[in-house]
Amino acid sequence: MDLQDVAPKSQAELLYEAQLRRDRQFRTNVAISWLVLLLIILLIFSGKNLPFGLTGIQLDTQFMKDNWRFIAGGIPWTILISILSIILAMILALLAALGRLSKFPPFYALSTFYVSLIRGTPLYLQIFFFFLALPQLGIDLPGLWAGVLALGLNYGAYMSEIFRAGIASVGKGQREAATALGMTPRQTMTRIVLPQALRFAIPPTGNEFIAMTKDSALVSATGFVHEIMWRATKVGRAHFRNLEALIIAAIFYWIITIILSYLQSRLEARLSRGDR
Amino acid sequence: MAPLVKVTDLDKYFGRLQVLKRINLDVQPKEVVCIIGRSGSGKSTLLRCLNFLEEPSAGTIEVGGLVVHATDRGDKRRRMVHDVRLKTGMVFQEFNLFPHKSVLENVTEAPIIVKGMNKSKAAEIAEMNLDRVGLLFKKDEFPNRLSGGQKQRVAIARALAMEPQLMLFDEPTSALDPELIGEVLNVMKKLAQEGMTMLVVTHEMGFAREVADRVIVMAEGELIEQETPENIFRAPKDDRTRALIDRYRTGGAE
Repeated sequence: MDLQDVAPKSQAELLYEAQLRRDRQFRTNVAISWLVLLLIILLIFSGKNLPFGLTGIQLDTQFMKDNWRFIAGGIPWTILISILSIILAMILALLAALGRLSKFPPFYALSTFYVSLIRGTPLYLQIFFFFLALPQLGIDLPGLWAGVLALGLNYGAYMSEIFRAGIASVGKGQREAATALGMTPRQTMTRIVLPQALRFAIPPTGNEFIAMTKDSALVSATGFVHEIMWRATKVGRAHFRNLEALIIAAIFYWIITIILSYLQSRLEARLSRGDR
Repeated sequence: MAPLVKVTDLDKYFGRLQVLKRINLDVQPKEVVCIIGRSGSGKSTLLRCLNFLEEPSAGTIEVGGLVVHATDRGDKRRRMVHDVRLKTGMVFQEFNLFPHKSVLENVTEAPIIVKGMNKSKAAEIAEMNLDRVGLLFKKDEFPNRLSGGQKQRVAIARALAMEPQLMLFDEPTSALDPELIGEVLNVMKKLAQEGMTMLVVTHEMGFAREVADRVIVMAEGELIEQETPENIFRAPKDDRTRALIDRYRTGGAE
């Protein structure tokens, strides 16, 4: 046994424990407040009589029971379209970032042109462009791919800034060391700069992915991909139960976001523990 | 013997500012040359022109028989510069180890990528050079687990693994805590004794005095004096040299 185990606690130890207790208390209070807020929302939609002469909103629970599975069937589509789109977006963002750093005018121009055009127009418009405008030119993309293209192109433009910052975060000294060792600019980029830059870009890319799961709902407007939002509006309109359908969809999106945010924080914690 | 390094009429401008003025310099094989001077005197820029981390504005650089004129352009020049870098190892003030690679990978990376050496041969050479700097036992660590002095010794091993004919040191101990300077200087001293040709930009007057064959003094972009250490330290000719040496004598760092 260690001598420390039996020795009286030092003042530093006591102060530290008090701090831990305060932190724990704060987290408990926050959790309780969350539960209270949830309870209030549940009460509002309970249909029961509330204090101060208010009446809760009556939801059609039978409709919800009958249709939640149908709406849940959109979850895999939402996730699939988000994963495919983020992959495309990462590739485009990396290319755009490299173009932005290129000394070759056509690459630089192509990169800035792409980013400017995409950021200068609404995502909603871009989605309709791929679903509705392209068929007019005889280009008929399957619904899923049109959605992936629209979302990927859009997010790629915004995410190019993340990758550019990642590349910029790798110090000039790294490039000089590689150059002095005889590496070509291409070797320096692929072997030394990019591995460090991508690591830097992982957490913000995670944030973009979480945002994308929700922006994928815009794809529903075209009616070709049967993800969460499309299903919710379809059954909601058919039975004139939009309130109930949208509440179900909102719950699914919310849960997905909470799960992804949790995974994201785990990933970040692991990366920050690594060798920096 | 033909000089290993021959610098002729080297000028360097940063924008409109001239930082090197008509530098002429020869370095013989196996010679250890220390370059001293106040910050801003151009000593680091001169060193960085030798392996073209800085582009010379005018003049000629010759390393190991490879001649590059500042006015050269195109593919031939690119190949020449690449070959000069292969003959030259460089050690930086800030170490610049690759943080995403282990100590061993830091040292094997360039031999594998640049020379196309196979992995086991590269590892063999890397281990030999890590042993030379006394850090073979750290080969599986990552750089963030090393002290500053250890990082710099790995950086030296990394440069040596390319088997250069010339080693450039750019203030190799300036970023180190005082108690860690000695271990790096000892490795450099050993290297000098083994006959490596070295150009060392440094503020370590003790090292210059003890190890250098020749000391070069720079001020305002010019090479104002070059002499044996004894002559420089005992009988500096230029007032600026005297001021520089006096400052170090009284100012703490030796």
